[in-house]
Amino acid sequence: MDEKREDGRAVTQLRPLSCTRNVLNRAHGSASFSQGETRILAAVYGPKAGTKKNENPEKACIEVIWKPKSGQIGKAEKEYEMIVKRTLQNICLLNVHPNTTTSIIIQVVNDDGSLLPCAINAACSALVDAGIPLKYLAVAISCCISENEDCILDPNKLEEQKMKALVYLVFRNSIMSVLDEESTQVGESIENGIVTSVTHGVMTVNNYFQCMEQGRAAIKPLSDFLRKKLQSKVQSDVSVAG
Amino acid sequence: MESKPSNSLSSLIDQQVFPGDVVLDLSKMANQTIKLGSGLRQEGDAISVMKAGKLRFAKPNKYWVESSHKRYVPCAGDTVLGIVVDSKADNFLVDIKSPTIAFLPVLAFEGGTRRNIPKFEVGTLLYARVVKANTGMNPELACMDASGKAAEFGPLKDGYMFESSTGLSRMLLNSPTCPLLETLGKKLAFEIAVGLNGRVWVNATSPSIIILVANSIMKSESLSPVQQKIMVDNLLQRVQ
Repeated sequence: MDEKREDGRAVTQLRPLSCTRNVLNRAHGSASFSQGETRILAAVYGPKAGTKKNENPEKACIEVIWKPKSGQIGKAEKEYEMIVKRTLQNICLLNVHPNTTTSIIIQVVNDDGSLLPCAINAACSALVDAGIPLKYLAVAISCCISENEDCILDPNKLEEQKMKALVYLVFRNSIMSVLDEESTQVGESIENGIVTSVTHGVMTVNNYFQCMEQGRAAIKPLSDFLRKKLQSKVQSDVSVAG
Repeated sequence: MESKPSNSLSSLIDQQVFPGDVVLDLSKMANQTIKLGSGLRQEGDAISVMKAGKLRFAKPNKYWVESSHKRYVPCAGDTVLGIVVDSKADNFLVDIKSPTIAFLPVLAFEGGTRRNIPKFEVGTLLYARVVKANTGMNPELACMDASGKAAEFGPLKDGYMFESSTGLSRMLLNSPTCPLLETLGKKLAFEIAVGLNGRVWVNATSPSIIILVANSIMKSESLSPVQQKIMVDNLLQRVQ
């Protein structure tokens, strides 16, 4: 039946999420993010002085290292590194610390489908833990199109292999704001914008838009989840003005 | 897609905010000067958040985001603990856990002239003050206060230095002394130097006192004032 998937989830239901920050002692920021059985550990070191040779010294440089669970580093890992780097360059404020490098290391602990979105969520949480200035948070979700044109969210590995096409989407998170409703009509289009979209397989344009709508519906629950989990444990007493 | 649209200005103060949240609407606050501290930036008519933390407000017009991290963002006027990494002709290069390495001019000591330049080995721990900290430039330090007196700045000998988070350092430097240091100070004799960059140095006559003080500080990161006092009382009872 198309309504229920093999593990009992509904078509638009996400797997159980879990996120812990500050898991590594030596890293400046770290987070472990898991969606169902897929688990990723992200560590952030930086900002450190100096940029790489071909990078613009007026901006901060972001370097991503992807470590697979097993095997040598090959082209697939390099592609993941590039996608994560471009996504993070979009959400980081690069002119706050010019001429510095921030290194993000992504370690795959377990791969059960939706690897790239889980990695982006983990990297974003690690950046928040490290205190790197960000424009907004990124929430990533994967959608796939099945043989009978259904759009399914957050597939696991078995489901991914049976699908016709796959889309990884990264959106801006939903924010708390003190602005009025009217003044945000202009900003509405920016709010719903896509940061990154990676597709595999063949799908029609309508399928793609359908996936986008499904993905957008998942922004709010993911953002609320991140807000709850990434709260800092700062002392609640009044302290000196900083 | 906003979860809590609200017209009230104070709705987000003292709450957890995340990057992207809009906390102030400048179009509603005409003819006011506001000062933005760390973690906030201006985007046209809105003030939005850069770092996750608690939004704070101090009268009359200061807003900032309070957060605790392992790295330090240098700010003029802060006192920090730095480690000498290298010495050049004009400056010492000092590591203060900031994005760029800090410079300590060779003459920035009380009564410093070209004739009596101090000789610091690589690895010397210094208590210094941040004089200048601008974006894009290396921060500048000095081992004297604003009026040119030495005032406890300079190299720290003996003792034990350990790293903490910036939030813990700020708590240790609180204006009414934090209950942790007060309770420790009643029973033990020790010397302590706290750098706002997340480094703490402790010195005492016997190593066991140093270890006790260091461990209790490291453990108090997430404890409330009452819990700190209880933890320290328990620790001291077990020792004596």
